[in-house]
Amino acid sequence: MMSTPKEGIPLVIVTYQDIYQWVAKQRDGWGDAYQQHSAVVRLSPADLKRLGLDDGALVELKSQAGSVVVKAKSDPICQQEGTGYMPASLYSNRLASYNPSVSRLPNLKRIEVRAVPTEKDVTPLPDLLLNFENSLPASDDPKLT
Amino acid sequence: MERGQRPKLSSQSLVCTGCGCLCDDIQVEIEGDHITKLENACAKSGALLYSSDSPERRATCLIRGQRASLEQAVEEAAHLLSKARKRLIFGLDNSTLEAQAAAIKLAQKLGGVIDDASSFSFGTLVQRILSGDLPTCSLSEVKDNADLLLYWGSDPPHTHPRHLSKFSYYAYTDYTEAGWFPKVTLSCVEVRDTELGLLCRPAFKLQPGGDKDFITDILMEGKNGTEESKKFVELIEKSRFCVIFCGSGLSYSLDNDFDLFNEMVHKLGQRTRIAVIPMAMEFNLRGFNQSLYKQTGYVNQVSFAAGTSHGSEFSFLEQVRKRLADCVLIISSDPFSNLPPSLMRNLQGTSIICLDHFSTPTTNTAGVVIPTALPGLECSGSAIRMDGDEIALVGLKKSEYPTEEEVLKQLAERI
Repeated sequence: MMSTPKEGIPLVIVTYQDIYQWVAKQRDGWGDAYQQHSAVVRLSPADLKRLGLDDGALVELKSQAGSVVVKAKSDPICQQEGTGYMPASLYSNRLASYNPSVSRLPNLKRIEVRAVPTEKDVTPLPDLLLNFENSLPASDDPKLT
Repeated sequence: MERGQRPKLSSQSLVCTGCGCLCDDIQVEIEGDHITKLENACAKSGALLYSSDSPERRATCLIRGQRASLEQAVEEAAHLLSKARKRLIFGLDNSTLEAQAAAIKLAQKLGGVIDDASSFSFGTLVQRILSGDLPTCSLSEVKDNADLLLYWGSDPPHTHPRHLSKFSYYAYTDYTEAGWFPKVTLSCVEVRDTELGLLCRPAFKLQPGGDKDFITDILMEGKNGTEESKKFVELIEKSRFCVIFCGSGLSYSLDNDFDLFNEMVHKLGQRTRIAVIPMAMEFNLRGFNQSLYKQTGYVNQVSFAAGTSHGSEFSFLEQVRKRLADCVLIISSDPFSNLPPSLMRNLQGTSIICLDHFSTPTTNTAGVVIPTALPGLECSGSAIRMDGDEIALVGLKKSEYPTEEEVLKQLAERI
């Protein structure tokens, strides 16, 4: 296994639409199936090797806006080193930001992150949902838990 | 009904409201109140229609997390809107034209701001199409006449699953069972390898964010352009009628600035016919844009606080970033799923009212939730397809939920 710098490697995350995730969300809500199709980053085999990770291992992605732990999948057709592809979801959104002095739109198609191998678990979905206490206690809506 | 007797089956056509295709050939069989069979439905359509039968997925009437009656929820929503000073209405891309009209009227009455998700997707493109800056055509023209289909920043197998089979590549008039030797050319411009790309000859692959440079190269016409840009120009020049289907990937890569794209379409359009169609993902995004455009001359980002004003300061993104609204009415939209939480947390402390068919992270965050009927299945109305054609929606099922139009009209009466 190659040695991986402790600070990980830089990646640019590009989000895309995934029909399997859309269907999972529509049928079952924001549950296990949604997580399975969302908590993933597709990397080139070369980047996976640079990170010293096996296919399907966990990786922490850190941006200025936040961090998430997702599965790193080797994608043989994704040959572009330095780019990670994620289905647009609560996971990719946690990394994204909107800064109109930089661009007119949120950076959903170009999120700069560092990828670091981790032993943490996949970020649980409830950690990604905003919960405004003054408007709706999360425990009162069983459909999203 | 006697024990053991099965309720009568009805098999009818339905317009699917799962995406901007508005497929009008979905055969549905309904037994009692439940869908028992679907034909011609794609995966998205099936998930949407079957989940309408799932009580776990439907939104529930709530006031600050507590169950409430529809009357109480509408009263509370009217109260919040009445006492607010700066109201923002957002969403409506998954609403009928009738609901959109009611929402625009409500925004006018409240002197509020109104915007939709086209503000951060297709709005600029649709505005150019509606104002005549960019040429367009209908989807029926595409399958009758187009010989070059170019998907740019769009992956229809995942966003519009029947787009190729119903409106473009597999749908053209001359298509036969020997369709492996097609008479149209399918091409795409993408930043990643997609299933669509495997069908395309040629597929143009760019670096993420590289669309602007690619268009600049195309405009240079080979003087210093890349091989790829020369190949692109040749491909267009060889065609009789090229349709460019623009996806959100293009909007984001260009940061919503379509000036260069416009220039490219006009320049290449001098040599062959080119039409542009936005691949709107929500079923009536185009309808919202057209409705607002007819009334104000703008497709989104409008304020009625002092007459009619328009500008980026009235975009949902800026309204939230600057915490400008003290009451937000969100209709059939889920910004808490689709936008960065680093932005959305600015709505903490703001009154949020949500009308939706389904339970979402946005309904989970709203102070008042009002569940509504699903257009196309549970209520009638009309919508504008991605190409600008108006499509009638016929509700097939009786619904326990009110329509968005009814709720919005009730709110307007009580304010």
